Amino acid sequence: MFEQAISAMASVVVDPYLLGLIFATTILGVIIGVLPGLGATTGAALLLPFTLTMDPVHAIAVLATIYVSATFAGSITAILINTPGTSAAAATTFDGYPLAQKGEAGRALGIAVISSTVGGIFSVLILCFAAPLLARVAYEFRSPEYFALTVFGLSMLASISAGGAVKNLIGGIFGVWLSTIGAERVTGIERFMFGNYELYEGLHFVPIFIGLFAISELLVQSKTVDKIIKTVSMKAVKLPTLEDYKKIWKTILRSCGIGTFIGVLPAEGATVASMIGYSEARRWSKNKKEFGKGSIEGIAGAEAANNAATGGAMVPTMVLGIPGSGTTAIILVGLMVHGLRPGVYLFTEQVEKVYQIFGSMFVANVMFMLMGLYAAKLFARVSLVPTQILWPIVFALSVIGAYAFQGQLLDVWLALIFGVIGFFARRHGFSVAPIAVGLILGEMVETNLQHSLKMFDGAWWMILTQPLALMFLVFAFLGLCGPMIFSWITKQKD
Amino acid sequence: MKNIYLVPLILSIFSLAVIAIALQLDTSPEMIVGDSMQARSFPIFLMILKLILIGILSFQFYKNNPKPVALEKYHTWGSMFLFLLFYLLTIHTDMFIGIFVVIFLMSILWGERRIWVAFLTATITPGLVFLLFDYVLKIRFPRGILMNLYYG
Repeated sequence: MFEQAISAMASVVVDPYLLGLIFATTILGVIIGVLPGLGATTGAALLLPFTLTMDPVHAIAVLATIYVSATFAGSITAILINTPGTSAAAATTFDGYPLAQKGEAGRALGIAVISSTVGGIFSVLILCFAAPLLARVAYEFRSPEYFALTVFGLSMLASISAGGAVKNLIGGIFGVWLSTIGAERVTGIERFMFGNYELYEGLHFVPIFIGLFAISELLVQSKTVDKIIKTVSMKAVKLPTLEDYKKIWKTILRSCGIGTFIGVLPAEGATVASMIGYSEARRWSKNKKEFGKGSIEGIAGAEAANNAATGGAMVPTMVLGIPGSGTTAIILVGLMVHGLRPGVYLFTEQVEKVYQIFGSMFVANVMFMLMGLYAAKLFARVSLVPTQILWPIVFALSVIGAYAFQGQLLDVWLALIFGVIGFFARRHGFSVAPIAVGLILGEMVETNLQHSLKMFDGAWWMILTQPLALMFLVFAFLGLCGPMIFSWITKQKD
Repeated sequence: MKNIYLVPLILSIFSLAVIAIALQLDTSPEMIVGDSMQARSFPIFLMILKLILIGILSFQFYKNNPKPVALEKYHTWGSMFLFLLFYLLTIHTDMFIGIFVVIFLMSILWGERRIWVAFLTATITPGLVFLLFDYVLKIRFPRGILMNLYYG
């Protein structure tokens, strides 16, 4: 197994086509990451249709590379123009931009590049070791355990960073409901199709995701057309000095752990990881007063954590089929479209492919480091592309991408409709990621509940007698009600 | 009624409509469903859960009294109108004519003052995307005025 894994990962380096693909995608990912509003999730949604004709490993490598490189690249604009390219880089603006204003933009970028690379590589290594172990545990799972696990995954939606807990749960339930459209799996009864037989097999994820992430973002960006962007000038990216390394190595290591752990939690992602990474860096720092004024520990804490979350988020995605973030939800769809069923099967029958994907992520981390060090200045200029040119192009890519998935115009209309739904949801403080995660998990919840009911002759409470299922349901309960219970206890004590 | 309660109201109406439609769905014979559940049960359960959450959301609104969302500028509503225009043009003419017109008008609507830049964006982008999808990915596009000329 170990030898097979090593040889599969090494095969990435000797495959010139795959290397070239990762190189090209890293450039694209960095460009997507520096363009305010686009980000890893929108980028992956737009690129998904382009991967349909690719070999499965190449397709997932492309999506994973977009994920890691765009997550890093968000820091370039966060430091140079005080606008995070991705939400995961929001915490980087707190200290990155102030340091850039002091004339040390190159140093800030250097620290961001090194911290992101260490975080990304650390999480890929953890992914290589943790994913097969988790897969072995998942081998014991039956329908009640999977049902409880998906309920746990849905309960975690409450804590997704954007939107409030209640709004996120409403979004998640709406997503689960969307998964019920089409013929019901067991009985074949048509649900909510209104005579439209193109929906017989249900709503396909690709057009819905293009709508929710790309089209809705287009409408959100239409509100910022008058915004004027100013860049901070920079000569070259500077590698951290020995003094800098002494100051930040503990922070980077801590953030690597935090980021990977947060990433592994279902429905949590790089944004939450970077915020916690930043606040922990501040909490443990000896120079707390520097935070907010250009602290290099602040930059390292946020950047190491958000890139560490990328590998962590791939663990539940590939092992359990539960996405760790909006972008991994798209990667999960990519896996499904290419016939790679996430779960134990992937780690027993298709180990080579799995490790090639991990290897690609490793290579992508190294590539974005080189690009960050040598071409950040150039990429920063991309962020100045006028919105009135960029977003109409995104529109064209969205509609053609939605059509290309199945060659159906219905998918284009669905993308546009869900774009408008996503926009109105975001307008009123609802995040669209819970809708996407709910849509993916919906079928799993219903099917596993049906199987569990059959297993226990209709006695649903028997699910609670299964130790692992009970554990997940308790976690779900704590995830939903824990904060309320703890605040009530604290109030009582006071 | 305050503006902020419009969202819970719309969500509630939607949930009730889903329940009403679900109740009209066919039922399966006992021998197929067995100890499991009918096709209508799960969506109804979801909507009841959603209605409970909408109740909590309304209570939160009542307690916190959030500010109503400000109305967007014409760029946003205009873009949505362009989606509708794209639908009509695609149905009645050709998808690529729709894309050309929408990109051109969207660039102008969003503030592009150089007509030639908007025109070039509207021409080059769908052109390149078409070439990529047609030659590399071998996707056949829906027939229309332009595609009939191309496919023959």
